Amino acid sequence: MDHDVLPMPESTSMDTVTLRPFVLADLDAMMAWASDPVVTAFMTWGPYTSRDALLAFLRDTVLPHPWFRAVCLGGAVVGAVSVTPTDDRCRAELCVVLARAHWGKGVATAAPKRAVAAVFGDLDGVERVEALVDVDNAASQRALEKAGFTREAVLRSYCVVKGRLRDMVMYSFISTDPLVK
Amino acid sequence: MEPAAADGDARRAEEPAPPLVSLRPLGLDDTDDFMAWASDDRVMRYLKRPLCANREQAVAQIRDTVLGHPWFRAVCVDGGHPVGQVSVWPYADDGGRRANIGYALAHDHWGRGIVAAAIKMVVGRVFDELPGLERLEAVTDVENVRSQRVLEKAGFHNEGILRSYIAGRAGGKAKDAVIYSFLSSDRA
Repeated sequence: MDHDVLPMPESTSMDTVTLRPFVLADLDAMMAWASDPVVTAFMTWGPYTSRDALLAFLRDTVLPHPWFRAVCLGGAVVGAVSVTPTDDRCRAELCVVLARAHWGKGVATAAPKRAVAAVFGDLDGVERVEALVDVDNAASQRALEKAGFTREAVLRSYCVVKGRLRDMVMYSFISTDPLVK
Repeated sequence: MEPAAADGDARRAEEPAPPLVSLRPLGLDDTDDFMAWASDDRVMRYLKRPLCANREQAVAQIRDTVLGHPWFRAVCVDGGHPVGQVSVWPYADDGGRRANIGYALAHDHWGRGIVAAAIKMVVGRVFDELPGLERLEAVTDVENVRSQRVLEKAGFHNEGILRSYIAGRAGGKAKDAVIYSFLSSDRA
């Protein structure tokens, strides 16, 4: 019996998820996720309680950053994806954060897909994009795997998040890896 | 026909006693000994430190990267002069909880278990000497099998292979690496 392949939610998101540089006017949109303790539970930063502090971050870190993008769904800014070069010129670290209202729609998969499609051309010398995800953050792990990242290792007691020492899963996408459609 | 040996062990050549390894700070007085490994590409090829081509560069390296280092030790054998180095460098962004261990040994002394012994000594004391340290990490090139064996002998855990992790030399392609760790809680 023939099965028609139904379009996955991700493919809908892929059509409408775009990345663009941030501008100061994005501050309020940023506040929506940066002030949300559920969103920042697995992050080493946040939640932001002060608009001024977030403005300083946007102005001083985001705008001059080598690769920091707003994740847009339709016309709205719903999250951020950054790829930050490390001391080793061949590797850069990817971070994705999304407003909770847009979880579970495939945006968390679409954003890193878009990022790795662009970043190797943009960041000279980078051959490896890596991401560290909390061992308990199953949703983010799944999103990266669907975006074509390879799970490489569990790094024990790697960093402190919200006062607790955490094991982190290391993921990577190499410049020669096939892009996931 | 040879008579059977009464004691099979008597036929074995006597094994040399394992070297007695000690660690101490390294200073400018040790420059000539430092040169023995720091100028040798066979030793330094997998390290990020630049090769010392002459004594002046060795002095500069000791002055700039050893004297102020958070935890750097010369490796000595049988109470003699330094034959290598071992260092623990906390990562900048982590409040001192995570640190990288590196080591180098003069080529003449390879194959005697010296580095494994030195690393075991480091593991025995560095968690007390660097307060807050939770995780010691070592990253080795996948081709550096010798170094991997040393870390395994010293009780480090192989956590996995990180692809294209180490920048290639002279602009070459990045190399895959094996990452190892030893936690404060791994101490028996």
